[in-house]
Amino acid sequence: MKLYETTIIYDPSLEETRINEEIERVTQPITAAGGEVIDVQRWGKKKLAYIIRKRRDGTYVHVKHKSPPTLIAEMDRRFRLNESVLRHLSVMAPKDDPRPEAAVAEGGEAGTIATTVPAVVQE
Amino acid sequence: MAREGESRSFRRKFCKLCLDKVERIDYKDDRRLARFITDRGKIVPRRISGTCARHQSQITEAVKRARILALLPFTSDQYR
Repeated sequence: MKLYETTIIYDPSLEETRINEEIERVTQPITAAGGEVIDVQRWGKKKLAYIIRKRRDGTYVHVKHKSPPTLIAEMDRRFRLNESVLRHLSVMAPKDDPRPEAAVAEGGEAGTIATTVPAVVQE
Repeated sequence: MAREGESRSFRRKFCKLCLDKVERIDYKDDRRLARFITDRGKIVPRRISGTCARHQSQITEAVKRARILALLPFTSDQYR
């Protein structure tokens, strides 16, 4: 089981109920394969930076999950067959993600940088 | 924060991300990444932005991921 982040861009013309269905179709196989859905974020309709399949907007859904690596390949295959998916991206999520930038008291290479830079953080 | 420009020849460039103590650059954070691409959508080189090696490689990866998700442009079409 590995921690992944999958972002899917759906066709903007899909209705709320269809989106819910689609999310179900993503999350259901994860739990079925013994994984775990950690978080489902709906970013809503966003403007695309460039046109994809003649669409200027897309409905973004971001899913954080623990899945077996084999499932990622299967998910990828299904997304590509799914006409209402404009784009999708699955990446490994960083482990200590719950607190992305607040990790100041962390050891290793991160710590060395933090000590060499004077504390002039404002704004 | 880096409010003063780093233009003059003797002015030492510094990594803005180190100054902000950014641990990890997120590909979802398109507002922050937008500062590291040119108006044509190119990634700003280290020699211009002054970013340190560690952060620059994080930027490149994050920008490339953000481009796939259409959060950032591959190129700006207004120049076409």
